[in-house]
Amino acid sequence: MGELIAFYLLAGIAVATALAMVITRNAVHSALFLVLNLVVVAVFYLLLGAPFVAMVQIAVYAGAVMVLFLFVIMMLGAERVGGTTGLRWQVPLAGALGAALIGGTLFAFLRAPAGLAPVGSPPVPFGDPAAIGERLLTTYVLPFEITSVLLLIAMIGAVVLARDSGPEGK
Amino acid sequence: MAPFLVEAAIKSLILVLLLLTGFAYLTLAERKLIADFQARIGPNRAGPYGLLQPLADAVKLFFKEDFIPEYADRVLFVLAPLITLIPTLLIFAVIPFGPELTLFGYRTRLQLTDVHVGVLYIVAVTSISVYGITLAGWASNNKYALLGGIRASAQMISYELAMGLAIVSVVLTTGTLQVSGIVEAQRNGWLIFLQPVAAVIFFITGLAEIKRAPFDLVEAEQELTAGYLTEYSSMKFALFFMSEYVKMIGFGALMTTFFLGGYLGPFVDLYPGLGVVYFTLKVGFLIFVLIWLRATLPRIRYDQLMSLGWKVLLPLSLANVMGTAVVVALTA
Amino acid sequence: MELSWWAHLWSVLPEIVLVLAAALMMAVDAWLPEGRKRELGYWAIGGLAAALTVTAVQAAQLAGGIAVPYEAFGGSVRADLAAMLFRVIFLLAGILTVAISMDFRPLRQSGEYYILLLISVLGMGLMGAAVNLVMLYLALETVGIALYLLAGYLRDTPRSAEAGLKYFLFGVFSSTIMLYGLALIYGFTGEIAYARIAQALAGLPAPAVMAALLLILVGFGFKVSAVPFHFWTPDVYEGAPTPVTAFISVASKAAGFAVLIRAMIEAFPTAQANWVAIMAALAFVTMTVGNLLAIPQRNLKRLLAYSSIAQAGYILIGIAAASPLGVAASIFYLGIYTLMNIAAFAVAVIMTNVTGSEEIRDLAGLSRRSPGLALAMLAALLSLGGIPPLVGFFAKLLVFAAAIESGLLWLAIAGVLNAMVAFYYYIMVARAMYVDRSPEEEKPVWISRPARFTLWFTVAGVLLLTVLVYPLYLLAQMAAQAF
Repeated sequence: MGELIAFYLLAGIAVATALAMVITRNAVHSALFLVLNLVVVAVFYLLLGAPFVAMVQIAVYAGAVMVLFLFVIMMLGAERVGGTTGLRWQVPLAGALGAALIGGTLFAFLRAPAGLAPVGSPPVPFGDPAAIGERLLTTYVLPFEITSVLLLIAMIGAVVLARDSGPEGK
Repeated sequence: MAPFLVEAAIKSLILVLLLLTGFAYLTLAERKLIADFQARIGPNRAGPYGLLQPLADAVKLFFKEDFIPEYADRVLFVLAPLITLIPTLLIFAVIPFGPELTLFGYRTRLQLTDVHVGVLYIVAVTSISVYGITLAGWASNNKYALLGGIRASAQMISYELAMGLAIVSVVLTTGTLQVSGIVEAQRNGWLIFLQPVAAVIFFITGLAEIKRAPFDLVEAEQELTAGYLTEYSSMKFALFFMSEYVKMIGFGALMTTFFLGGYLGPFVDLYPGLGVVYFTLKVGFLIFVLIWLRATLPRIRYDQLMSLGWKVLLPLSLANVMGTAVVVALTA
Repeated sequence: MELSWWAHLWSVLPEIVLVLAAALMMAVDAWLPEGRKRELGYWAIGGLAAALTVTAVQAAQLAGGIAVPYEAFGGSVRADLAAMLFRVIFLLAGILTVAISMDFRPLRQSGEYYILLLISVLGMGLMGAAVNLVMLYLALETVGIALYLLAGYLRDTPRSAEAGLKYFLFGVFSSTIMLYGLALIYGFTGEIAYARIAQALAGLPAPAVMAALLLILVGFGFKVSAVPFHFWTPDVYEGAPTPVTAFISVASKAAGFAVLIRAMIEAFPTAQANWVAIMAALAFVTMTVGNLLAIPQRNLKRLLAYSSIAQAGYILIGIAAASPLGVAASIFYLGIYTLMNIAAFAVAVIMTNVTGSEEIRDLAGLSRRSPGLALAMLAALLSLGGIPPLVGFFAKLLVFAAAIESGLLWLAIAGVLNAMVAFYYYIMVARAMYVDRSPEEEKPVWISRPARFTLWFTVAGVLLLTVLVYPLYLLAQMAAQAF
């Protein structure tokens, strides 16, 4: 019961922060709402009994990625999003599509709840750092290594795009 | 459920009270020590040996005008000091101050909570402690403050990596993510002897993370007035000030836990209460070193800061992790 | 079944070779003196060729029955003939692209360019082999990020920068939407492996599956530049460095088809009626829009962009047929298309080097200026247009036959009509080369040696395969049986 209350409370906060992130016109505020949202999601993970994932979520997303976001926004002084852009017509459209998505998902869930039953409880050491590490470096070593390649080229790319081009024709 | 909550509440309360007193007298200690290093006398008017000085300061700050600049982002300007202080306090939740002992017939650990991913918790909390200062700089809408804030985030991002890797070496060596486990693993020898490189890296990066001299570029008076603090006054300023000093204690506590054997010491098994004494002594020594360094070293330049972090500490810590991994794999 | 470590490695051996080659190139790039950076191209070709050799051996083993298909790394990738054949396509496209990049003027010679290319080929190989959602997404992103960077590689030229940014934004957007679809699938089934998803989906309500399928198809549609996810194509093709355009137009598209075919057949067999309808509609719209919009183009790269959209439409017909013949036809088509399209782009690269422009009218008088080059272009265009007896004709024949076999007669007829429209604009280009005159036609055209190799290889390939249609078809058929 307590868990259910906590879930709905957090879900409310998560949705509210996500909405606020989209609606607010100030990029810094948007970024902060996103941080809040990520932290709330981390708490969800805690509730699900996966503290490792929760901590990684905070350290990586809230702590590293979003700090860099904020850093860039501040460096560029890009916090003010233009109030009257030519994208006004997108607001009702986005609302309608979002409503359609929620409606569709609800429809799918309510129509055949049996088919969408929970998958059953996870194996016991689920989300345990040792278990995750073991799986990552044995069974799923390929996706793991590909991720490192992915990050490496992203870094190379950032350097390519950011370095001084030097004198033309060099 | 209930006894657990009561226990946690009592522990939290004691922790916060201790930290508040610690902070207050740390300011005095720092001023006194710096005065000694510089052959001055230091505060000596409020009470014997200036012992009431912190109280006087608190009263003074409390009655100062609480000023918010007109073009500041009011909400964030007010929130920033809190966002800075909270992660600073949160760190202490997983630090063991002493071994398990029996108090009033109740067996407990001198640690708020002993989560089994405690080390990750520490990493996560330190990683979000950047926000407060960055936001303070931005919300002030003042160029010095903004520069200070941006410097702070750049500095903390740069040093977080090497610090994290130093902690990884510790985790690899002890084989646990539980903070109490790391302390217990040092019964046969402090990790500073097993992991000297990681200890040095952790110390340097820790200095940078808490922005102490010689890494106090964030508030370099000559260039940035007072950095992100420029527009702050009264209690909001006091909160920042407090988090600075609590961070010193936190750094000392982490360094002690990871590398100096935490609460361990002679006879600690016989008299568990001794653990707290050892712990306090070790933290106190480290804080003394921090003050000592401030009195000794000049501030480094920004480019030196960046090249030290990225070109020296990061590769070094990576090499250390790899070396540790090889040794652990071979001896396992 | 417990696999030996060697079996695990064997399944991704070409990728391992590519990673090693990329790592080696980083070191070589650092040590090579400034004046000799051009040699990096040869290093890249060497790495790709080594991987190609490995792949060819593996493909031969699989085709000859010496090796049996299996899944490795916890069901992340499958080593089967289809995966290997797709790898051959990607690696060939990579080699040919490097060859036309080496003397492409606007590209300053640098190791990063080739490394990004190598890594994107690596990602494509994994896209073709991926049999679970995690691997699929990681491979897609690896390819995506490398290609965004390559498209915007000439960041000092506004067009290339714009192309990079546009490609990036469209790519990120479509992959995010696809991720929603993947998340839905995982949420509904709790599985990431295709085969198990297929089992679990059987008991699910159709609307749920359909929603996920549509979202996923956005991502795949972007990769293969199917209408209506094609808006990036002309601008990116025009702005990106021409060799990169060539690479995106063939390798990235083939990779998109590789994942599309595998995901549809292996993960969504229960929803086949749904996706066949979607594919047929996509195929029809894609080829029609592509061909009609190609007609007014005056810029060679834009024309080839719309032409490549239309070609994607034809290939989609094969998938819409949802039969072994259809899949074989699509694989066959992709192999041929790679050669034809790279040949056409090689000519574009050479002409850009000479004239500095990419307009079709600057091809005027090419038949007198460089008869060989004009002939190569003509062969590529006629084959793209599907003129018998060139091999492109057989490719079209196969997809249309597959459509008819599966009862999609209307789609086959639409395809034939479209091929006629396409013929018009291919001939317009040929007319510029053969009929139009230009005051510059006395000036010779300089063709670098690697570019000459690409031209020879592709044109000879098209001609040779015209003779060897049947063996190639058999190979495609064997690969199609892998699904």
